[in-house]
Amino acid sequence: MEDDEQRIVDLVKELVHRLLYNAQNPNSSSSTVPARQKYNQALKYSLRILSSRMTPSIISDESAMVESIKRHLVTAGKSSEALTFADLYSKFSLKSGPGSVKNKWAVVYLLKTVSEDLKSRKNQSPNIISSGFLDSALAGGLPTLLENTEFNNNSGGIGNLIKNLNIEEFKDGPDNLLGLGYNFQSLSNMGKLKKNRGEGTLGDYSSNLKRLGDNLSGLRVGENVKTGLKGGVLMVSKDPENIREMAYREYADLVKEENEVLEEVLVRDVLYACQGIDGMYVKFDEKIDAYVLQDFIKVSRATGILVRKLCEIGWLFRKVKGYITETMARFPDEDVGTVGQAFCAALQDELSDYYKLLAVLEAQAMNPIPLVSESAHSGNYLSLRRLSVWFAEPMVKMRLMAVLVDCCKVLKGGAMAGAIHMHAQHGDPLVNDFMKRLLRRVCSPLFEMVRSWVLEGELEDIFAEFFILSQQVKAESLWREGYQLHAAMLPSFISQSLAERILRTGKSINFLRVCCDDRGWSNATTEAAAAAGTTTRRGGLGYGETDALESLITEAAKRIDKHLLDVLYNQYKFREHCLAIKRYLLLGQGDFVQYLMDIVGPELSEPANTISSFKLAGLLESAIRSSNAQYDDPDVLDRLRVKMMPHNTGDRGWDVFSLEYDARVPLNTVFTESVMSRYLQVFNFLWKLRRIEHALICAWKTMKPNCVTSQFFGNLPHAVKLQLILTSRKCQVLWDEMNHFVSNLQYYIMFEVLEVSWSNFLKEMEVAKDLDDLLRAHEKYLYSIVEKSLLGERSQNLNKTLFILFDLIVRFQSQADRLYEGITELLSRTTGSSFPSRSITKSQRKSNNKSSEPGSWLGEGRKDLTRHAGEFLRKMGKDIEKIAKEYSSVFEGFITQLPIQQHVDLKFLMFRLDFTEFYSHLRPSTGRKL
Amino acid sequence: MDSEAARTARDSLELVFHMSNILETGLDRHTLSILIALCEMGINPESLAAIVKELRRESPPSSSSAPTTAKSAVP
Repeated sequence: MEDDEQRIVDLVKELVHRLLYNAQNPNSSSSTVPARQKYNQALKYSLRILSSRMTPSIISDESAMVESIKRHLVTAGKSSEALTFADLYSKFSLKSGPGSVKNKWAVVYLLKTVSEDLKSRKNQSPNIISSGFLDSALAGGLPTLLENTEFNNNSGGIGNLIKNLNIEEFKDGPDNLLGLGYNFQSLSNMGKLKKNRGEGTLGDYSSNLKRLGDNLSGLRVGENVKTGLKGGVLMVSKDPENIREMAYREYADLVKEENEVLEEVLVRDVLYACQGIDGMYVKFDEKIDAYVLQDFIKVSRATGILVRKLCEIGWLFRKVKGYITETMARFPDEDVGTVGQAFCAALQDELSDYYKLLAVLEAQAMNPIPLVSESAHSGNYLSLRRLSVWFAEPMVKMRLMAVLVDCCKVLKGGAMAGAIHMHAQHGDPLVNDFMKRLLRRVCSPLFEMVRSWVLEGELEDIFAEFFILSQQVKAESLWREGYQLHAAMLPSFISQSLAERILRTGKSINFLRVCCDDRGWSNATTEAAAAAGTTTRRGGLGYGETDALESLITEAAKRIDKHLLDVLYNQYKFREHCLAIKRYLLLGQGDFVQYLMDIVGPELSEPANTISSFKLAGLLESAIRSSNAQYDDPDVLDRLRVKMMPHNTGDRGWDVFSLEYDARVPLNTVFTESVMSRYLQVFNFLWKLRRIEHALICAWKTMKPNCVTSQFFGNLPHAVKLQLILTSRKCQVLWDEMNHFVSNLQYYIMFEVLEVSWSNFLKEMEVAKDLDDLLRAHEKYLYSIVEKSLLGERSQNLNKTLFILFDLIVRFQSQADRLYEGITELLSRTTGSSFPSRSITKSQRKSNNKSSEPGSWLGEGRKDLTRHAGEFLRKMGKDIEKIAKEYSSVFEGFITQLPIQQHVDLKFLMFRLDFTEFYSHLRPSTGRKL
Repeated sequence: MDSEAARTARDSLELVFHMSNILETGLDRHTLSILIALCEMGINPESLAAIVKELRRESPPSSSSAPTTAKSAVP
């Protein structure tokens, strides 16, 4: 220690020497006595100064210092020098190790102060020319060291002439000054540097002095400049800068008093809190769910509020972070889903940005906070206020994230993406960009699902996040029920129609794969992807590229649908099968139906439970073989089967017999069971109609007038003959009426209904773009058939009436059969009695009847016979009359109900049935309406 | 090792001298080296600066007859 002090003294001596005799010849000047004295005084003065200022008035901050110097240079218009200086300084600061300057800051500060001093002297020079000592008095107070006695009385320095001090001038604290003066003197006499080691007196005095300076400076500074010679006062207020620094120190004391904790510490704590870690003073309070300053810390109200505000980001961070860890923790077990995962990853990314910012801020927090001094506006220190500026943007983002976390907690998959999308609708570009970035990440699994679904038909959706749901179903219902839109999972940025197209495209691919066993679609999808300009690779789509998505979907859908229809039309011959159904089930193939009717007719008259379906199948087979149907595609014929409907007791074969067409996969997607049951309904109706027609034709076969009967009639007794003719006439009229109705009805069904619907269907099949169109067209076709054939819901009454009519016709047929049987029996009995030998030819018999034995008939039992015949005919006539009456009343009901039906086509039926206006004349009321 | 240290010290001094020139302090190398040494000893740079200022003011009047012009000429 002694060595050090000695060394310092030596160095100071050297310094003083250098400074004093710098410009002169050192050898000559040092020898003279006055110079010697001057030297000694200067040395003493120097040592005193050194002992007086123990610590620098500002906190050491190298970079701030350098910044300040640079700025000074720049403002002085020497920017190139500022650059050079910065360069030099950076080199200088890099020097380390032995031989280098350790206290670099001190050196730089020294340089700065010296240079500033020179500058200020330059500026002040007009004011100080009056005296060479004025400035020295102003600056440091070394007025009387020279032998200028003229100043002695006035200057009153603190040196040897301290006793000359004019005490009256210092009303505020002369004692202090006096004591200080003595103290200084003794110190300088000792010639030693007293560091502030526990003595404290010097420190106390100097601080007293400073206060004094503060008090006086306001009053005296101007005065000092003018008059200059105010002794101790001048010393304490040596320059304005110093005053300011003192004021700052005072302020620092005040701040320290008010706040127990340094701002640096609070900043560090806040930074900790922002990472979700409890700091020393700022801790998380579970009760009020926030970060708070500990109660025992005394800080100013403003600081407290600022800290609380800044800690909001910490709270938000805790929330977001908590969500991420929680989600990630339960990921493999529970259904967080890929979208949830992506969301977490995106949040994590945003947080890593935030971490980066925090790292930078933490580095800055290491720098001490300067007081509001000159160098304060430079440097990268971090105060609470600066922190609040730094946190402005992260706070917005963090808030957004917290909001998203809140709203997404219970959601997953598409619903989550949709919810986030709703938040993205924001006018603030910052928020908008942020959300877009987030959404791009969040939606990527979703878009990947869309892509693989549309292009590969694969549903990679383990967590049920996608807006398409798949169900395990049989092949035939794959199209209708296999996949469905899940409305809850449909994000709002995908429109309903687009979603439906997406659904259909993927469904088509699956349909092709599962039902059609087709592999050609992969070419179609590659083509589609190429056309849409996207790749078939993963990650080709993203959020915000709705147009790209739409074009991809459109292209893919167009190609896939076309391919699917091609497969259906060509490979699976959809059209041919439709035609086959029309021919066989809708009885379009006339000769086949006729033949079938002929051969199964007798069989079907039996009670239903006695009929064997095997036998019927054989009969069907032979019907095919004997009609033109035999030339049809064997595949088609193979699918045609006989089906016996479930029957009740008393049902006839007619009631249960039906044909069936087995469409098989994939066509059973179109011809589903419900569709087939409607076909069956139509078939049954048509079959019944055919049977009625058939029955009427059979009746006609027996009752049509021929020579035999007419001749026979002639031979009958007059009364019987008259009755016979009357009855058969009635029968004929009724038959004719019925035939008119049935043939018109059949014409209507066959031509107006079936053929028209079929041609419409063909047209629609041509323009159908996808399977849904095709299904719709077919549905329409079938619907129109059912409706127009009076089988629909609305025409149930009409249908019932129709069936009553059919029943009446059947009854009539049997009645007519019986009548003609009776007539034939009568005939045979009369002829049998006269002609025992039946071997003779018809023509012979006729001639014989006519010519040779006209009277033999009237022989034995004739009266009896006549009575019998008369009775029979009367009975038959009554029966037929009854049927006719019933028929005409029911038919009238039918006719009146017909116009009520909505179908335009039924008007044609009406027109046909009532072509001669016979019926409307019968009932003028309805006739007028028509 | 010693030469290394000496070289570093020389370099440092040179750098400080350059900086000093830029700041127009008017100090020569020798004075600077003394000042650096004092700083290294832990002396308050403000005090040192004050000494430099004071003593410089002392020297010009004794050395030249026109103090103001001399002073303004120094930097």
